[in-house]
Amino acid sequence: MDNPPSFADSDSPLRSLITSKGNIGVKSPYLNFDSDYVSKPEYILPEGASKQRGRFELAFGQIGASVMIGAGVGGTAGIYNGLKQTTLAGQTGKLRRTQLLNHVMKYGSSNANTLGVLAVMYSSFGVLFSYARGTDDELNTIAAATATGFLYKSTSGLRKCGIGGALGLGLASIYCLATSGDRLRNMLE
Amino acid sequence: MEEYSREPCPWRIVDDCGGAFTMGAIGGGIFQSIKGFRNAPSGFNRRLIGSMAAVKQKSPMIAGSFAVWGGMFSTIDCTLVHFRKKEDPWNSIISAAATGGILAARNGLPAMAGSAVIGGVLLALIEGIGILFTRMQAEQFRPPQHFEDPSQLGPAQHNM
Repeated sequence: MDNPPSFADSDSPLRSLITSKGNIGVKSPYLNFDSDYVSKPEYILPEGASKQRGRFELAFGQIGASVMIGAGVGGTAGIYNGLKQTTLAGQTGKLRRTQLLNHVMKYGSSNANTLGVLAVMYSSFGVLFSYARGTDDELNTIAAATATGFLYKSTSGLRKCGIGGALGLGLASIYCLATSGDRLRNMLE
Repeated sequence: MEEYSREPCPWRIVDDCGGAFTMGAIGGGIFQSIKGFRNAPSGFNRRLIGSMAAVKQKSPMIAGSFAVWGGMFSTIDCTLVHFRKKEDPWNSIISAAATGGILAARNGLPAMAGSAVIGGVLLALIEGIGILFTRMQAEQFRPPQHFEDPSQLGPAQHNM
């Protein structure tokens, strides 16, 4: 059937729904229809707006989230290490408190900075690729992650640089398979 | 209105933190690359190496302190919005002063007061400039006023 069936067609499958049996009478066609004929919901978007938020709109949130996660993880590690070391050194009271704060600050900021810089690199590569290619898909994610790995380790030798890139590639591939495996399978078939 | 283009409140903290981190990373990168270039021993290659080293070492730290500032500022801003039930320039000014004070907490009371004043004045300037710009832009959209000259209509005719 090429055209979507309408109520006027005598051979339309919708016809049978309207003319129900016996004396019940004709139900309103507006209430009695097969919901399969209604396609997916259509959203009216403002002019120039895309269907979902692009990479740039999400970038700052992602960067902020990574900075905060880094700070949280690093701060926890700092508390743990600080408690261990101050106990070993036998420090108590004010000295111990200050030393604990120092540990939390040190671990927290270094972790947050590392994760944040990685997120900035990944987001800027992602935005760059999605602008350059005009689309936003899994390939962008993988390419951006690989480029981030290369750039982050670009100053510590060719071998480490390669390892960084491979790590980015692997992580991004796992992520893509986990989040949109169905879609990729459909694309390959 | 810029308030509609931003995230709603609890998520605004994450967004602002990320924005501040990015700003610090890019700005710090540019600044440190110039500084490292100038402070390195002579020779173009050495200067480039010095520039790279400075960027790698310092710009994450600058970005981190920007992020902490932005995150703290936004947190206090959202808290104020929650309690005062309105969003106005005073929120920003108060939260900037409080942020400056809290982040200098380990340096003693005088440092806290100084940072708080600097933060408050800075944000007051920014908000003031913002309001000024809004006023100036609003001036453009005012409909032109036509004054019609009644003398063109000729003398009034009463005896119709």
